[in-house]
Amino acid sequence: METVLSTHQLTKNFGRLCAVNHLDLEVKRGQVFGMLGPNGSGKTTTLGMLMGVTNPTFGNFSWFGQTPTHVLRKKIGAVLEHPIFYPYLSGRKNLELMALIKEAPLTNVQKVLELVELAGRQEDKYKTYSLGMKQRLAIASALLNDPIVLILDEPTNGLDPMGIAEIREIIKRIAADGKTIILASHLLDEVQKVCSHFAILRKGNLVHSGPVDDVGKGEETVEIMAFHDDLALLLESFAGAVSVKKEPHQYVVKMKEGFHSQELNRYLFDKGIVATHLVTQKKSLEKQFLEILAEADHAALVKN
Amino acid sequence: MLHLLKIDLKKLIDYRTFWIIGGLYFLTLIAGAASGMEFLKWLSDTVEGFGQKINITRIPLYHFPDIWQNLAWCGGLLKMGLAILVVISITNEFTYRTVRQNIIDGLSREQFLLSKIFTNVLLSFLSMAGLFLIAVVTGMIYSPEFEFPFSLTGIEFYPAYFLEVFAFLSFALMLGTLIQRSGLTIILLLNAYLIELIIKKNIDNYFPDSIPFFPLESIMNLVPLPFARYAFQEIRDYVTFGSVAIALVWTVLFNYFAYLKLKKSDI
Repeated sequence: METVLSTHQLTKNFGRLCAVNHLDLEVKRGQVFGMLGPNGSGKTTTLGMLMGVTNPTFGNFSWFGQTPTHVLRKKIGAVLEHPIFYPYLSGRKNLELMALIKEAPLTNVQKVLELVELAGRQEDKYKTYSLGMKQRLAIASALLNDPIVLILDEPTNGLDPMGIAEIREIIKRIAADGKTIILASHLLDEVQKVCSHFAILRKGNLVHSGPVDDVGKGEETVEIMAFHDDLALLLESFAGAVSVKKEPHQYVVKMKEGFHSQELNRYLFDKGIVATHLVTQKKSLEKQFLEILAEADHAALVKN
Repeated sequence: MLHLLKIDLKKLIDYRTFWIIGGLYFLTLIAGAASGMEFLKWLSDTVEGFGQKINITRIPLYHFPDIWQNLAWCGGLLKMGLAILVVISITNEFTYRTVRQNIIDGLSREQFLLSKIFTNVLLSFLSMAGLFLIAVVTGMIYSPEFEFPFSLTGIEFYPAYFLEVFAFLSFALMLGTLIQRSGLTIILLLNAYLIELIIKKNIDNYFPDSIPFFPLESIMNLVPLPFARYAFQEIRDYVTFGSVAIALVWTVLFNYFAYLKLKKSDI
């Protein structure tokens, strides 16, 4: 697969603070790449460097295998942090100005305005827009020049649930077109719903990177409940159980690799017990994220 | 080049403040230039009240070729209006952070600055053309005769006036880029002459030769004050090569400093 973006030892220091530390990333064509990390983990700084507004302290990166220039940026649609427009210009005039900068055909302006459903308010000044409209205009601006790559930084920040759903729909639609998308977010749910790959940053360090589908592989955790007095003992003697935890209305069994809920179910059944509640816990990205961060914290502690 | 100019004009053309300040500037230029004769009339009327008489027709304020330098010098007084416009235009980009988006969208930092510089060139040119037009019209009205080529002596003050305005706008653009706050930049711009004056006055006993090399002094030096000639004093009624060279060097430096700042900073 063709590499769209690769960074090599990319580093940015602000005085003594190291915002991004020797970052190596690779994004392939067609991926929807999620960049995760708590606030202040260096996501926006990284994107700023990739878009030429922040000068790297060290390291380099390449777009489409080429040294980055401002001409390449015209084919990347990017919105970093909050939307930025001229407040005294109308939404339409703002996009026309951007089309001029990006050397995109002016006919695209109407197209993207309709795509984000802003055509009805296009003649109003940008400063009269609501936050959701501003975010949508930002996405429209990113799509203006038929970009090969789309960079979105917290596109749903500060939106109400409906706005979030709208933006998510737009992202999915764009991804379906086969465009490469880089999405920075601290909303894990968001990333899990739309991304194919993800990377986790912590204090400027890359702590994990891989496909989203890998999340949830590995050992299973099963919630179980049955009416039996010695259920805890029975569960502990199950060959596939690593640990058994009692919770108010259920037991939570951590399984060995290769064991699944059906084996547990059969085991209980053979003992003459019928489960009243049996659920395989799906490992969410959120859980994995917290685990990875905790591991990284632990590693940092050990190192010090 | 035209493309970059188009980008910057697109930002200004729907900006009301731009039209208000720009309109006021050109209005003042026209009104100021046209009111000189009225001022002379008022002066003679006032003096007449004291029993004296001045023959205002003997002060050839608007006669060819005096009018060229007279108006070029007066026009130079108003360049602050345009400079404030330039300061607002550049500092807006920093307060709205649109410079950041411009670069993300695919302008290089050089191109961004060039688009501003081209606008400065255009504003300076319009200013010069406007003033030239005013000079021709008022000259036709008040001048008793037009004698070629004598009447055109001193017309080179118009290119000099162009450089004067452009150099000052470059200075304003540099200050705006360095400071990035409109209020602070305008205050500093308004005080720049005074600050330079204080420095000049404190060193002119020790290094009198250095005075023409001061930046704002060099800009003012392009078109020297002409009116002393009506009090029978000697004035310089031509453009000197030295003054142009010094002002040009400063203009290049102003724009270069702005470039350096833009190049190095994280936007």
